[in-house]
Amino acid sequence: MSRVFFTRLFDLLVVLFGVSIIVFLMIRLIPGDAVAIMLGANTEITPERLAELNRRIGLDRPVIEQYLIWAGAALRGDFGTSLWTGRPVAGEILIHLWPTLELTFLALFIGALLAVPVGCLMAQTRGGMADVTMRVGAIAGLTIPSFWLGIVLILLLSSLAPGFSSLGYVPFSEDPLGNLERMLLPAFALALPILANLSRLVRSAMLDALGQDYVRTARAKGLSERRVVYKHALRNALIPFLTSVGIMTGYLLGGAIVVEQVFAIPGLGRLILGAIAERNYPLIQATILVVTAGFVLVNFIVDMLYMLVDPRVRA
Amino acid sequence: MIRSALRCAIGAGFLMTAMASASAQVLEIGTDLSPTGLDPHLITAFPSFMIVNGNIYEGLTAIDKDLKVTPGLAESWTVSPDGKTYTFKLRPNVKFHDGSAMEAEDVVSSIKRVQSKEIASPLASRLASIEGAKAVDPQTVELALKEPSAPLLASLATIAIVPSSVETDKDVLQKQPIGTGPFKFTEWQPNGFVLLSRNDAYWEKGLPKLTGLKFNIVPESATRQVGLINGQYAMLPNIDAATALQLKGKPGVKLAETLELAYALIGMNVSKPPFDNPKVREAFNYALNRKEIVDAALFGAGVPGGPLSPALKSWALDVKEYPCYTTDPAKAQALLKEAGVTLPVTVTMNVLPRQDIKDVAQVVQEQLNKAGFKVELKNQEQGQFIQDWRNSNFDLFASTNAGSPDPDEYFFRTFRTGGSTNVYKYSDSEIDGLLDSARSMQDQAARKAAYDKVQKKLACSGPVAHLTYSTLFSAMRDKMQGFDIMANRSLVNLKNASY
Repeated sequence: MSRVFFTRLFDLLVVLFGVSIIVFLMIRLIPGDAVAIMLGANTEITPERLAELNRRIGLDRPVIEQYLIWAGAALRGDFGTSLWTGRPVAGEILIHLWPTLELTFLALFIGALLAVPVGCLMAQTRGGMADVTMRVGAIAGLTIPSFWLGIVLILLLSSLAPGFSSLGYVPFSEDPLGNLERMLLPAFALALPILANLSRLVRSAMLDALGQDYVRTARAKGLSERRVVYKHALRNALIPFLTSVGIMTGYLLGGAIVVEQVFAIPGLGRLILGAIAERNYPLIQATILVVTAGFVLVNFIVDMLYMLVDPRVRA
Repeated sequence: MIRSALRCAIGAGFLMTAMASASAQVLEIGTDLSPTGLDPHLITAFPSFMIVNGNIYEGLTAIDKDLKVTPGLAESWTVSPDGKTYTFKLRPNVKFHDGSAMEAEDVVSSIKRVQSKEIASPLASRLASIEGAKAVDPQTVELALKEPSAPLLASLATIAIVPSSVETDKDVLQKQPIGTGPFKFTEWQPNGFVLLSRNDAYWEKGLPKLTGLKFNIVPESATRQVGLINGQYAMLPNIDAATALQLKGKPGVKLAETLELAYALIGMNVSKPPFDNPKVREAFNYALNRKEIVDAALFGAGVPGGPLSPALKSWALDVKEYPCYTTDPAKAQALLKEAGVTLPVTVTMNVLPRQDIKDVAQVVQEQLNKAGFKVELKNQEQGQFIQDWRNSNFDLFASTNAGSPDPDEYFFRTFRTGGSTNVYKYSDSEIDGLLDSARSMQDQAARKAAYDKVQKKLACSGPVAHLTYSTLFSAMRDKMQGFDIMANRSLVNLKNASY
């Protein structure tokens, strides 16, 4: 157990190191440097002042040196300050992390929770009307773009319930009801493709499991169909499900850019997008690292969950 | 179960909205871009300007909705007979948002701050004529000029007065602005909103009427529109024609409109062939059909215009005064032959990444290609565009520019030899002479005559083909009263608005 933990921790460090180097180099390859964009149309800037700004940000040094300086500070927990607003990068990320975490959690909760019964039902009624209807629904859920769905949901709700505030973000701690009110639609818009995806996955894994010998045995010893499906077959169908949930969580933690744009939610996706547009090097760098760490961490948790559902992995 | 929970949530939503409209009157504003900072002396972008100008900060003078200069923090002023000394009498009882009194020292510091090399304010050129600023007494400021400066009073409207304590500080105001305006800064949630609240100690009695302004940052246009229609936002300021057309006639929504100061333009690099030749620049103008650009790229909401916006009624010449504004591709071809350039004239046009400008560029490309040019469009990313613009690294570029209430503010820095935004490398002794003399003229009629000449010359053979001035719209809920839209996109009139 602890060996697995330390291997994973080591993996995390290797991945973070690799990603930090790649990101560092990549953002410097984008044409148009930070200083030029920051100054915009300000023509009072003399070449000397330009040089001073470059010096302040450290852009006048060789890239390797820039990286080492940055990495050194980052190891001490200092991710620098945003080039534009002058606020500490860590604080900016934290502000944008909450909405993303909440959205991720809600969308997964809705999507994954519903996917299991829907998937099981589809497998049980295989080929029947219910199965076909749900499969068509799932394909629709997968193919409808979330920005379209988001806008349609906003329009629909605003005509059904004109007083409902569906846009923007209020922290849960400030106004719990207002927060949930605003999170409902975006969470649903995000959850739909998740539900579609996962229910299809559960269906095929269940079909697989239901054809196995142990299911026949379970039926033969007189267990109820419900017990056969949920106790014996489902447990075996859960491994690919968990893997998928893990990967999806990783993606969602990176910020659901489209849904954030549509619902005006200040999450990580918009933070990264904005940071790249304005070449906010320290902010891009740190945000991507946080997202990477989240991804690796989620996969680690999924591995731990494998052990919970499958005793064979524990050995 | 789920249905009843949803019903419950919707019910709660109703209740809360009802409560909100009964008590607070924070105006919910929907806008597309985040501000990049709130220091009035350092910002260059509209999203920042819109929030701070006139709301958080004020200048000695102000610009009214007809673009005329009116008293601001100075209640009156006198000018010496030689035009080189301005004496401003400050309004009594003006307080900064931190509670301290606004006095002559603060005005002097603010002017020094803008002029300081260390701060490197983009506004510095507007105060270039000021040689010295002096606090005569706490309520009186005296400005000494190198030479008479006609545009000074209009320029001073754009110079925010900040507390003297921040004179040398580059960082603090970007995050924590302190001004004298009707609203004071309360909170900035990046990518979320900027919240301003009522300044109870505001000098103009009874204002502002609203208890606050909340600039919600909503990147998606469709979302902003829905938000206005369902009443979550009370106002969408400064929207384009396409958005306005979609909102027109929606229940509960009204539109305000004005002609803009800002314009679409094509810039030409006159430091190298082919645009170093004035005949080629003239041919370029003959090739354009500005009416068609308005119809095709601006949905008909705008007008063709010359070097000055038709919104500047006391300055701008009618476009009928410019012969090259009559579209004539044959004449363009003839001028190109006269100029002795090889046809077609093959050039690249850098395009600012903004939808309206991209649309304009495409129409222009098509028109030019019919008249002896061969234009290749280069759609650039913002940072790259600015860098090329700054370094004069272009044949042509399509862009937009904000415009100013006084002609000197735009003309001098743009067309004077060595001007700070003369990226075209334009140099013409006649224009230089006119610009130099016009800025020190006291007589309005003589000044107008000089700028008439400048406009005529620049319109056809200048380094900029001025294309169109758009109609600017603001959309708001019917209930909102007292807001006047401004041609320079300022939201200063929000202090008079109620909701």
